[in-house]
Amino acid sequence: MTNTESLDNVVLELRRGVIVLAVLSQLSDEQYGYSLLKLLSDQGLEVDQGTLYPLLRRLETQGLLESVWKLEEARPRRYYVISADGKKLLPKLKKEWVGIVSVMNKMLA
Amino acid sequence: MSLIDRYVAEVGRHLPGTSRNDIEKELKSTLEDMIEDRIGQAGRPRDEAMEIDLLKEYGSPEKVAETYHPNQFLIGPRMFPMFIMVLKIVGTVLSVLAIVGITVGLSKVGFAGPEFSQVLMQKVFEYAGTAITAFGNIVLIFAILERTLPDSEIKDLNPNEPWDPASLPDEEQPDAVKRGDLIAGVIFGFAGLIMLNFYPEIFGMPLNFNDDENWYFIPVLSEAFFRFIPWINVVCLAQIGLDLYLIRQNTWSNISRMAKILIESAGLAITIILLRIPNIIGFSPESFNSLPIQADDARKAMEILNYIFPFILIIVLIVQGIEIAKSIYGFWKINYKTK
Repeated sequence: MTNTESLDNVVLELRRGVIVLAVLSQLSDEQYGYSLLKLLSDQGLEVDQGTLYPLLRRLETQGLLESVWKLEEARPRRYYVISADGKKLLPKLKKEWVGIVSVMNKMLA
Repeated sequence: MSLIDRYVAEVGRHLPGTSRNDIEKELKSTLEDMIEDRIGQAGRPRDEAMEIDLLKEYGSPEKVAETYHPNQFLIGPRMFPMFIMVLKIVGTVLSVLAIVGITVGLSKVGFAGPEFSQVLMQKVFEYAGTAITAFGNIVLIFAILERTLPDSEIKDLNPNEPWDPASLPDEEQPDAVKRGDLIAGVIFGFAGLIMLNFYPEIFGMPLNFNDDENWYFIPVLSEAFFRFIPWINVVCLAQIGLDLYLIRQNTWSNISRMAKILIESAGLAITIILLRIPNIIGFSPESFNSLPIQADDARKAMEILNYIFPFILIIVLIVQGIEIAKSIYGFWKINYKTK
């Protein structure tokens, strides 16, 4: 493994936890995978599709998201939206995030 | 079939059947969205070069499939300790069966006969085959359980089960000696030496016929055996000396480990020689003269008794072999494995 690959992996690990919060926060309105990818990108969070799609499936398995297939432009698309459990969890995650940011800011100052 | 279809099918080939169709469908939908975006940006119609660029960027099918199912185990961490435990139990049972089977097989051709090596090899391969088959079956069963058993069915993974850190096993101290075992070894070693050198007549077979009140005693050891007594004494005394040294030092060292291997090897060599020498035990037709049995019965009894002694020797031989292997492995582990 090269140094660049190691760095990429560390950055990926660092982002992984954040992406869960970012995804849940953006799915109050339903989005399909690619539209969510672009939505996150437009707001400055670049997420690799290889990370996002498996994450969406995992969050759905955990009951935090719901999904439904819809036929649009002659192509089926899977739309994701935050579930009731996800909505309950989101404020707690936000609070946790604020705490982490505060602690890390102190540590890295 | 377009390049994207072929790509999606190739990703699907690396995915488990339960989620394959769903992931394939979503992946195709995403790739089509992405290519549409590129058509808009490039301002030209879709072509193969555009698909190639997209798929290269998306990653190899194996890598994409891996993101959906990372760290796939044949037998994962949750089942592994149980898998090892079952392997040990089955291994022990098979070893005992193999020892008995090999001994019975060898007894039919004679322990000193020309067919000895041939039958030994044949039996060893036979049991090695059985062991490999058993191993394969256990792996298969655990691989199925790994994929079908929910976490809640496994006690160790039940989050409601209270866990006590005190239940953790002690850390292994490779240099620590077991004083109890050593003291027992010294006592039994001395007792054995005294019996062998001063009371050899007690090594015999007590027999009772037809509820007769009288017990008859047949000595077991022959003159051929007694020629090895000095060598057995040397090995036993060396073992007792090493045990006493270890009790005093209270720790293993490389020298004591090597001494143990040498002593065990000497013991193994004596056992092999005893096994290969004919008439090592003292049964003869004359041994039965004083017994109230017919000549034919005496011959049968002699056959049985002549069979038991090599049987015991083979068991001793296997135990000694295992002990030497353990000692050599321990020596290697301490000196080379961590370096």
